[in-house]
Amino acid sequence: MRRAGQLSLELRRIGDASVVSARGDIDLSTVEKAGAAMDEAREEQRGGGGLFLDLREVRFMDTSGLRLVIAERQRADAEGYRFAVFPGSPKVQRLFEIAGLAGDAQLFADPATVLGVGEAG
Amino acid sequence: MSASPDNDRFALLASIDEVTDGTVLLGGTVARLLEYVVPAFADVATVDTISHEGVFRRIGSRVEGPGREELERGLLRRRPVPEAPLGLPAALASGKSQLIERITDEDLRAIAADEADFELLRALELRSMVDVPLLARGRIVGALACGVGTSGRDYGPEDLRFAEVLSGRLALALDNAGLSAAVSGLEQRLEATLTNLAEAVIVRDANARIVFANPAAARLLGLVSTEEITVAAPGSLMALYDVFDEQGRRLELADLPSAIVARGEEAGPMLVRNVIRATGEQRWLLHKATPVFDPGGALTMVVSVIEDLTEVKRAELAQRLLAEAGQILSSSLDYHQSLQRVAELTVSGLADRCQVLLRGDDDGLEEVAVAHAGGEAPTETDDLGVAAEAVELAEAHLAGRVIAVPLALAGQPPIGALFLAMAQSGRMFDESDLVLARELGQRAAIAVENARLYTERSQIASTLQRSLLPPELPAIPGFELAGFYQAAGEQNEVGGDFYDVFEVRGGWMVLVGDVAGRGAAAAALTSLSRYTLRTAGKLLGDPVAALEQLNAALREGPGLSLVSVCCALLRDVDGDARAELVLAGHPPAFHLRGGRPEPAGVFAPFLGAYERGEWTPVTVHLEPADQLVLYTDGVIDTVGEDERFGEDRLLATLQGASCAADSVARVEAAVRGFAHGPQADDIAVIAVGRLLGAGRVDREPEG
Repeated sequence: MRRAGQLSLELRRIGDASVVSARGDIDLSTVEKAGAAMDEAREEQRGGGGLFLDLREVRFMDTSGLRLVIAERQRADAEGYRFAVFPGSPKVQRLFEIAGLAGDAQLFADPATVLGVGEAG
Repeated sequence: MSASPDNDRFALLASIDEVTDGTVLLGGTVARLLEYVVPAFADVATVDTISHEGVFRRIGSRVEGPGREELERGLLRRRPVPEAPLGLPAALASGKSQLIERITDEDLRAIAADEADFELLRALELRSMVDVPLLARGRIVGALACGVGTSGRDYGPEDLRFAEVLSGRLALALDNAGLSAAVSGLEQRLEATLTNLAEAVIVRDANARIVFANPAAARLLGLVSTEEITVAAPGSLMALYDVFDEQGRRLELADLPSAIVARGEEAGPMLVRNVIRATGEQRWLLHKATPVFDPGGALTMVVSVIEDLTEVKRAELAQRLLAEAGQILSSSLDYHQSLQRVAELTVSGLADRCQVLLRGDDDGLEEVAVAHAGGEAPTETDDLGVAAEAVELAEAHLAGRVIAVPLALAGQPPIGALFLAMAQSGRMFDESDLVLARELGQRAAIAVENARLYTERSQIASTLQRSLLPPELPAIPGFELAGFYQAAGEQNEVGGDFYDVFEVRGGWMVLVGDVAGRGAAAAALTSLSRYTLRTAGKLLGDPVAALEQLNAALREGPGLSLVSVCCALLRDVDGDARAELVLAGHPPAFHLRGGRPEPAGVFAPFLGAYERGEWTPVTVHLEPADQLVLYTDGVIDTVGEDERFGEDRLLATLQGASCAADSVARVEAAVRGFAHGPQADDIAVIAVGRLLGAGRVDREPEG
């Protein structure tokens, strides 16, 4: 398989919120794995406590990753829970920009607010 | 006894010679000797031996008349009282023959050890007896005791002499056997070893009579005891089995190594499949036979050692079957043909009949492959109900001569069944066969699914490759058009990229697009996108309106379907060539002027993401020699050794490109040189260059 396209995922509970931290590449070859982690995290967040996708350690993301984010965003709106991402590298943010999502304030969350200042670093 | 004619006694001696000639075990010799002595010469007789160490052993007793078995057992247990002054003790002590012509109760009391012994001796109703020591090479090796009574005979001195002659022969025989005393001990040890051996051992004499078999042999041949083997007439055991060689040819007794070496020929180890007719139990047996010759070179016996290789063979067979089946199933996508070959393979080792049934459109089972061992046609209709049941319940079924396993991928409903049956071989299936059948079934299921998927994909692929991509770029008056398209990975994996160039009212539309995702679903979306854009573009003549149409179409479909598009409408307004450029979830296009690329376009949402979206066109003026380069993200997402190709590298690649063909060639070369590993995504690049001194673009194409 490809050299790139490695993705590791970590699931955390912060109060009533669930945080999925991704590290590596979210692309066609790994998006399914990321989707499964999101499904799991969604089950764990309580009472709309929120689901967060931490993209800070994501090296690369393509449109399949973006599709995952858009789908989750729409689901969150429909089912009434909060979904946001912790913005990633400029390259990852460029993708949101291309998709016309850079101005969607609701889509992005400040990790310090969610994780607490100590953990956010 | 003097009445007995001499020739009778001569015949008796001749018989004894015959018996003692053989090399049969000692116990058997004595028993047969006593059969000649009693009743011909005596009504009661016993034979004793005395070893070098002086150990007394009674090795045979025979009594004629009523209650003989009990008396024989009693005599066999009896030990002579050493200090008795007459009879056997006297014979053994003095080495001289003893004759008691008229036995009295007093004589018996003198001989008897106790009251019970006395009663035993009385029960023999003895009138006369002779006790003769057995002398061989100057040593007393034993004694022969004979008595008469129940027959009304008496012994006289003449009978004593005959008994001495008889004992001479007997002593010789005993000595011969005794000479092999060491051998005899060895034989006993050998027999004990053989008895405990895991390998089956069968010893046949020169006449093919089985003279020895160990318990392992009985087990292997499905018999209760070794006696069942040793009492069998030569060749009669064979009727209990069907025996085949590795190629499935039926074997007769004469084909087996034991028979071959008995004929004086050489025979190597032979692996056979042995089926017990009564139970259908099958075993793989390795037969080895060794001939044993006497010093004169004549065959005396054949020792057969039979190893049970059933488990080994089964494992090997299973491994080979699965390996070959796997190879067949993965080598071709014509699963009908593959399944047929697997069925044929299966009947070469696992079953007599193999059928593969797949669920048809009406949910019924259709036979897609069938094979019979030996190529024979079925002689009976199968009970395929169990196959249907296996599919229905998604459970494997094992019953005697039938196995049915569902063909299913993990966690999915069965797509069919593998049906195995035994017929002419008479064999029965067991659990290990079921395990193997399950494995086979799983491989077959995967192969069928793969083939179906591939067929579906390759059909879509070929359809799409024909329909999605214009066979060649059209000629646009005043413009130069160049393009490069490469589908990702395997040939059949049509990805989501598409491009199109078509004429609309008042101009030409040039577009590239990308559908998120891969595979059949993505390919269907690609098709929908391309045709919607083409139709809407032609009808409406406006790129934004065309994108809105596609957005609406995508929102109608199930699930979230995202498409990114970069669309340019080329127009000429009073000699001023311009492109109206719209992006939807797409990276910017590049506008080249004087060989310098600048990104162009306003970022906007993917098509299909939201009910409504705002896609903003930008106008790019195209002066002569200007270019517009459209590409899909497959270009910038190309995986390199350390990083992705990226927008910056694309920009650098286009720097100084002289014309559309040059731009496309540069991108193609740069991506090829950069790429590391297999291509992950489709790549599409289209460059439109305005020709120098070009005229209006809204004219009809020439020709």
